[in-house]
Amino acid sequence: MKKVIASVLSVAMVAAIAAGCNDTKPTATETQPGTEPVETSDGETTAETEPTETEKETMTLGTGSEHINLWSFTNEVPNMVNKYISLHPEFGEKYTVDVTIIATTNGAYQPALDAALAAGGQDAPDLYTAEAAFVLKYTQGSASQFAATYKELGIDVDAKIKEAAIAPYTIDIGSRNGEVVGLGYQATGGAMIYRASIAQEVFGTDDPAKIEEIFGSGSQSWDKFWEAADKLKAAGYPIVSGDGDIWHSVENSASSGWVVDGQLNIAPEREAFLDMSKKLHDEGLSNLSSDWQPAWFADMNGTSEHNAFCFFGPAWLLNYSMHDNVGGNFADGEGTNGDWRVCAPPVGFYWGGTYLIANKDTDNKEGVKEFIEWVTLDSSDTGLQYFWANGTMVDGEVGTKDCVSSGTVMAKSNGEVEICGGQNIFPAFIKGNEYASGKCMTEYDEKINSYWRDAVNMYSNGECDRDAAIAQFTQNVNDNLSF
Amino acid sequence: MSSVSKSSIERSDKVLRVVIYIVSIFFSILTLFPFFLMFINATRSSAEIQRYAVSFISEHPIQNLQKNWAVFNGKDFHPATGFLNSFIISTGATILNVYFSSLTAYAISAYEWKFRDTFNAIIMAIMMIPGTVTMIGFYQAVYKLGLTNKLSMLILPAIAAPMTVFFMRQYLQATLSMEIVQSARIDGAGEFRIFNQIVVPLMKPAIATQAIFGYVASWNQLFTPLILLTNKKKATLPMMVDLLNGDIYRTEFGSIYLGLSITVLPLIIVYAFLSRYIVEGVALGGVKS
Amino acid sequence: MRNKKLVNYAKYGYLFSIPFIVAFCIFTLYPVIYTFVIGFTDLKGLANTDWSILPFKDPKTGEAWYIFKNFKEVLTSQTFAKAFRNTWIIWIMNFIPQITFGLLFTAWFTDRRSKVKGQGLFKILFYMPNIITAATIAMLFNVMFQFPKGPINDLMGGIAKLFGHQREPYQYLLKEWPVKSIIAFIQFFQWYGHTMVNLIAGVIGISPEIFEAAEIDGANRVQTFFRITIPCIRQILLFVLVTALIGGLNMFDVPQQFINTQANNAGLTTNMYIRNQAFSGSYLYNRAAAASVVLFLVIVFFSMILFFIMRDKDEARLKKLRKQELKAAKKGF
Repeated sequence: MKKVIASVLSVAMVAAIAAGCNDTKPTATETQPGTEPVETSDGETTAETEPTETEKETMTLGTGSEHINLWSFTNEVPNMVNKYISLHPEFGEKYTVDVTIIATTNGAYQPALDAALAAGGQDAPDLYTAEAAFVLKYTQGSASQFAATYKELGIDVDAKIKEAAIAPYTIDIGSRNGEVVGLGYQATGGAMIYRASIAQEVFGTDDPAKIEEIFGSGSQSWDKFWEAADKLKAAGYPIVSGDGDIWHSVENSASSGWVVDGQLNIAPEREAFLDMSKKLHDEGLSNLSSDWQPAWFADMNGTSEHNAFCFFGPAWLLNYSMHDNVGGNFADGEGTNGDWRVCAPPVGFYWGGTYLIANKDTDNKEGVKEFIEWVTLDSSDTGLQYFWANGTMVDGEVGTKDCVSSGTVMAKSNGEVEICGGQNIFPAFIKGNEYASGKCMTEYDEKINSYWRDAVNMYSNGECDRDAAIAQFTQNVNDNLSF
Repeated sequence: MSSVSKSSIERSDKVLRVVIYIVSIFFSILTLFPFFLMFINATRSSAEIQRYAVSFISEHPIQNLQKNWAVFNGKDFHPATGFLNSFIISTGATILNVYFSSLTAYAISAYEWKFRDTFNAIIMAIMMIPGTVTMIGFYQAVYKLGLTNKLSMLILPAIAAPMTVFFMRQYLQATLSMEIVQSARIDGAGEFRIFNQIVVPLMKPAIATQAIFGYVASWNQLFTPLILLTNKKKATLPMMVDLLNGDIYRTEFGSIYLGLSITVLPLIIVYAFLSRYIVEGVALGGVKS
Repeated sequence: MRNKKLVNYAKYGYLFSIPFIVAFCIFTLYPVIYTFVIGFTDLKGLANTDWSILPFKDPKTGEAWYIFKNFKEVLTSQTFAKAFRNTWIIWIMNFIPQITFGLLFTAWFTDRRSKVKGQGLFKILFYMPNIITAATIAMLFNVMFQFPKGPINDLMGGIAKLFGHQREPYQYLLKEWPVKSIIAFIQFFQWYGHTMVNLIAGVIGISPEIFEAAEIDGANRVQTFFRITIPCIRQILLFVLVTALIGGLNMFDVPQQFINTQANNAGLTTNMYIRNQAFSGSYLYNRAAAASVVLFLVIVFFSMILFFIMRDKDEARLKKLRKQELKAAKKGF
């Protein structure tokens, strides 16, 4: 027995010593930027696993001597770096992009990014991404002092925005005192995504133009929506899956933000969400589901007892979330693939989106500028957005088509998708982008929204009365955010 | 008379036995449930899981497994690198943790020194400091000193593990007899040698349990490495699995479960190895050696 | 030989404690002091370098004790009060079954007479839930209790159907008590095995001779367990109680992943409150630090009570005696 322990201990000691060695290696390379840490690590992986081609590609983002630190919460942007290097090999020869990816779900991305930005120095991010839910903090709020304006980077922003016809709401979100500091590549303006077969049965047509009329698209009013909801209910269909489906419309159409002059402010449009949610609940107009939960997905693939008529969401909802969940082809009676249509929503909104921000202290302004410009403002056929919109990120494969922020690119791209029975989805989403507003946001929205949604949920489910819901919400916000 | 009571004792023995088995088997099933779910879901596609989280068998297990595996490769998932980093951190931290905790506990239990009680009280107090308290200051310090991306920052703090010291001390107080130490001294053994060759073997059951706990805790920690290790070559296995979480809009559930399964396997192996000290049930105190 | 006896062993006490002390000062003491100080400052907001210790008097109203402003805010906050109450309720709901089953299994599996077959396997299995991260298990439970189509609702609906009833799906995650109970159950599920392993380690350390003697004296199982085993593992039991208390009052991962602040904070714990203050929204580091200090004091207070109840009365008496002897000896000189 003693021998076993002794041998384990000695193995462990060796491991510990190895740990020590591992620790010193990168320090050496840090001080000598000329050496290549990438190579050593590649060597390690080849020794232990058999890396596939793709694996190698993602490991080596350039081989140059100048380092750009990229922080992100998904691999989307790192993959774009890959694409850029494959198109412009000289970029890869000049720079090495060191990627840090931290998922947002555990709430670790922001604290880590904040700490790294505040610490500054060699390891500080040169280029970082932010999600729509918290981007305001980095473009206008408490962490905006780290951001470089696109002008400072040397981008001719105004002309480029005009040329690419960038969605206006993304500019609102990405501007600090009128100067652009962050822009996205996606446009996440929302549309109404509805079931053609149900529309045909209840309204006698599935033509998007007619449905838009029935729902009062672009009217910024919910009246026609409720009329339609009653009709659908009479035919046995809930109009939406849950109250979360209309929340983003309500949120973005508010006349004022959550915080006005340092005080919590409940805009009347958002307060009305209490009653809307209650109505959906009490009158049986929804399936009472919550977003991202089984009942919600069941409405996507048509396996609910009473299938919901529509979802509200941007192109990514359709092309990623719904695409994976529609099951088989509707025509074969196996799912809902091909039975969806897209039209402009009654009340405009946007939902999600990734923004690119540069650190004002970056020591590689040139490289950062080049890449940011290619991703966010290049509207040519070799710009990122053209590939993104047409699903051609990987050569020879038709990938996911997504809406991009450049109207110019959208206009020349093909948005026909199978899930919508071959309908070109882009026109509806372009309208959605125009209706969307980015003006009534604050950097605390992510947090405050979650408190509000909870209070509304409690009220609509009869757990508390209306005043108690508002009191609960106010209390939570004040105690946690100190207004 | 006596035969009657004896048979009633036997009968109650049998009843007890049945109760023990029923309860134990019930808890075993409960225990295995999350593992079962994890391994099964590793062979299901994200869409299948989203639609129905608890299920027995996937429609296309092998295909899905391959797909989930492919997602790893697309997402910079390097099990070997992650495993190595996790292994270095956990093994290093665990060894430091149990060894130095035993040493400290021995110093408190075996020697009379002036500040002993004060020191012991301080250790108790440290133990009660909520983790959140140290967190804020620790991150700031590490960032200020530029010590990010050093695995040692996750290993060295294990030297001062008050919980383990407390356990070891409690254990020593119950089991250590100073006579053994005295007789070793008479044989001319140095203090350090006495600790290593007599006291440490004596503490095997305690060391084994604390080593398991330490290993599991260290292996599973996510938040601290996420903030301290920004270089992906230093990423640990849980960090890599966390990557798959991505953003809320596009979560790869199938791959997450596969990743979790891969993460948990080494732990089960370490546990199986160390648990013999708990399971064997032999007294390892000074009496039997 | 004589020389050896005169060796001053006390220095080894210091010597062997050095590594702990050094590591402690670097990795714990500095951060802790840092945090404690912040509790008395106006440090909030991200990357704020312009902060200072609060003045003793409120600069505006001249009110005294302004320096304790953060503490006052925490202690008067209804959300903190709720979090504090929740933490205790959930902890008690989880701890009672946890220690009960921990002790029960320990009694069963260390009993020398009824050697339970397969007990080795059971011992191994029961600790297993502790291996998976708390966040993962909490996530699994959250999915299971979803409304209206979660597995539990489906299952209950199916059972009801078997008996010819129609059961409406239940909103588990919006009701205060179901939320608290499920969190308590997850905590219990993850930690009863841990408790058992600790206790068993304590029992294994007991000399078998004591048990043999008890057997010869005709003690039955229950007597052996309560009169021999429990007193012998009192030290370990104290460890289990104290660590369970500390762990329980620091509860974070499970409620965070399971429910977060939903259901009107039904599952909000003090530690979640602290992190919410520090790492989200307004970055109220000062208030978070003050709340941490409060939490720390609460833990110390209740741990002290435990230490007092569980103290070794004989040892204390011995110590007293020895001190008196020492004093007497000194006087004698």
